[in-house]
Amino acid sequence: MNKIRTMAGGFAAAAVLTMSGFGYAAAQPGDFSTLPVDPNLITDSLAYNAAPAVYNPNGQPGVETVYTHRDGSRTITTTVLVLPDAGAAAAALDGARAGLAVANGKSQPAAVGSGGTMLTGMSPDGSKSVTVLSFTEGNTATTIEFAGAPKDPAPSDLVLELGRKQDTAIRDWQAA
Amino acid sequence: MRKFGMALAIVAMMSGSVVTAQTAYAAQSSHDTTTYTQPAVPVGPAVQMLDCFGTTGGMGCGPGWVWRDGWRGWACYPC
Repeated sequence: MNKIRTMAGGFAAAAVLTMSGFGYAAAQPGDFSTLPVDPNLITDSLAYNAAPAVYNPNGQPGVETVYTHRDGSRTITTTVLVLPDAGAAAAALDGARAGLAVANGKSQPAAVGSGGTMLTGMSPDGSKSVTVLSFTEGNTATTIEFAGAPKDPAPSDLVLELGRKQDTAIRDWQAA
Repeated sequence: MRKFGMALAIVAMMSGSVVTAQTAYAAQSSHDTTTYTQPAVPVGPAVQMLDCFGTTGGMGCGPGWVWRDGWRGWACYPC
């Protein structure tokens, strides 16, 4: 009898874990924690340290995460906004681009997502090189900002590679 | 008469030899059979390609590349 009770308790515990634990692990609507792609996926795996994610940056639904290189000289800031529809995403991206503080910026198309653009230049005070990749994917608007030393701008192949991985992650998240 | 015949025979032999020699020489000059050999290339001093800092490179990075902690972390980067 005790054995039966023990087995029943085990089944009940497993059921509770399945219903609760696994449920939290999966992406839920409004759960943006899995959206930003860690740049360590395309580095030596330990190059960047992630700061705690900021949810709904500037009051807009989405997530922003800052990754800082271990030597402190480079940062990658990924912002993904999740909006009601593609039109709102495009409008949000236009607003984000207009608000970028990049001096001597040169913009060029980037084959990432929809309307991908890569803007390269310097910070207004000339203390940093700045590269911003921006694109939309469905109802999301994404900007990835790379800031480094003035003579050490982010390589364009790295920018595009991380951008494409971010785009894929967004599409996977949308399909989940 | 006999001496005359001997002299004539000697002259004929000598002239024949000369004509034959000229013919052989002509044949040789028109068909050069000399074998020419390619001279060996002299082995010069070995060149050791250098990296960006004038050393032979670290971590297997080739010439024109340098090992440093950059945007992709520790890796070979162009100079």
